[in-house]
Amino acid sequence: MRSIMTFSLLLLGLVGAAFADSKESAPPPDKNQTIVVPFELVPSGHFIVKVKIDGKGPYNLIFDTGAPMMLVSPAIAKDSGLANKIKEKPPIALFGMMGFAKIDEFEVAGVKAKNVQTQIIDHPTVKLFSKEYEPKYGKIEGIVGFPFFSKFKMTVDYSKKEMTFTPSTFDPGDDNTVMTRMMEKMMAGKSEPKVVGASVLFGFEVSKNTKDEDEGVEVKSVMSGTPAEKAGLKVGDRILTLGGRWTDSVGDLYSAASFAKPNKEIELGILRNGKNLKLKLTPVSGS
Amino acid sequence: MKRFILIGCLTLVGFSTALAREVAPPPREVKDKYEIPYRLTDTNHVLVRVKINGKGPFNFIIDTGAPAFIMTEALAKKVNAREKEGKLTFDKVELEGGMIVPDAWGVAVDMFQLKGMNSMGLAGVELHGVIGYNVLARYKITYDFTDDKLLFEPVNYKVPEPKRISSKDKDQGSLESMGDLMKFMAALSGTKPNFELRPRGFVGIELEQKGDQVLVKSILKNSPAEKAGLQVGDVLTSLSGKSIKKTKDWFDAISKLPEGAILKFKVTRNGTEKDVALELGKGL
Repeated sequence: MRSIMTFSLLLLGLVGAAFADSKESAPPPDKNQTIVVPFELVPSGHFIVKVKIDGKGPYNLIFDTGAPMMLVSPAIAKDSGLANKIKEKPPIALFGMMGFAKIDEFEVAGVKAKNVQTQIIDHPTVKLFSKEYEPKYGKIEGIVGFPFFSKFKMTVDYSKKEMTFTPSTFDPGDDNTVMTRMMEKMMAGKSEPKVVGASVLFGFEVSKNTKDEDEGVEVKSVMSGTPAEKAGLKVGDRILTLGGRWTDSVGDLYSAASFAKPNKEIELGILRNGKNLKLKLTPVSGS
Repeated sequence: MKRFILIGCLTLVGFSTALAREVAPPPREVKDKYEIPYRLTDTNHVLVRVKINGKGPFNFIIDTGAPAFIMTEALAKKVNAREKEGKLTFDKVELEGGMIVPDAWGVAVDMFQLKGMNSMGLAGVELHGVIGYNVLARYKITYDFTDDKLLFEPVNYKVPEPKRISSKDKDQGSLESMGDLMKFMAALSGTKPNFELRPRGFVGIELEQKGDQVLVKSILKNSPAEKAGLQVGDVLTSLSGKSIKKTKDWFDAISKLPEGAILKFKVTRNGTEKDVALELGKGL
């Protein structure tokens, strides 16, 4: 028991190391600049890209939209000089973990991003892939994840084996989300239901009986003088989608509504007298 | 022998399920593009929703690091997926946004990554699986994180069957124990995920931004705002001790309050400050 407690404490220690320093303001992205990046599709269905870290490389990394963080191996962290930038070392070196560092310039075949936070680790899965593919493609040294690709409008086309990148204004931040969330949740203990909803006013009310397993939610009232009334929404209408999102529960409807913006038209998919209709609705700022 | 691989909560997956041969899909009418709504989870995973055999929606991560459409064993059972030689087939797989994936096949595996994340509710929603290569490769996909939709354009590409990579690596085993470890730590720290959603409460006012002031532009009949005596032109000045300068300040403060909660705030009317308290109602 004691050893397990110690381990969980150590893990929280790792979380401490996960916090990065303050953000630097980046120059505005040039939206006209689209770069095509070829990738190597390997037989297991993964794909490999060539990257440079602070001008050093190229190194082979796996491109993974399911990875909320970046990973690089200790070997290339040393080779690129990144290892010297580690701010805090983890208390235990599980899987050769060296800590977190910020890459000044991370480049995927000509596509460059500034200040990309990465974890330095000998990831067993990466090693496994490296062993499998080294004879043909060379060593595989890590994973390209969300902190890089979220900074671009990106397309992935397996049929052409290429991606395109256009700079975007999205800022993923520095926060190491998985570990931060883990700490938050453990500190919070038992969590309350999440409150969801819009910062816009539509002007209707819905309900759904607990025994009602059909799609959508039913409109119970439409308030006069509101965008919902103007759009022609009626009591008894069944709302199936809002902005293309399914609304099969009241929570779902509010969740979908959280993507709506004031004075911007949004489409409501409804069922009225057995017919599917689309209503255009423009919510206003309100609550 | 099934083996799926990933660190902490990162989805990179080694594939090792024996798979049957891909059958050429019959031609069907398809649109040339689909707007697929997504959201980012609390852990920055790209999440889409899927209905399988008419059931759901279920939450899946878009994952180029996974070789296939992978779901938990419980989900495969729940949607009555057909299983043959480790491969699942379905009557209908539909992504939110109205896109049906013709002849989708998947595998049922309890990925330790998802088990770990779900035990603590790290993502903020329950995760049922991932959508990987065998489905993703059939589309040209555009990701733009300043938008709330992904663009899926079907491409004419016969997706080769993903090859398995087997692993008897010791480190891999200890990595896979992370899922159970997180589950245990969750129990130890009393962490209980709560995936329930509650609608935010309703006030019944339209707001207007004028310079550094937030004004009540209109009030709905019979709304909590009307009952509380709020008037058009009232300036909303503070809420829960925080001053209000932009509509965002107001929305940030009330977006976490559910129906039935008491909302207390201050308004300025004709130069006089007034305290207002109202019970949040139902409405959108």
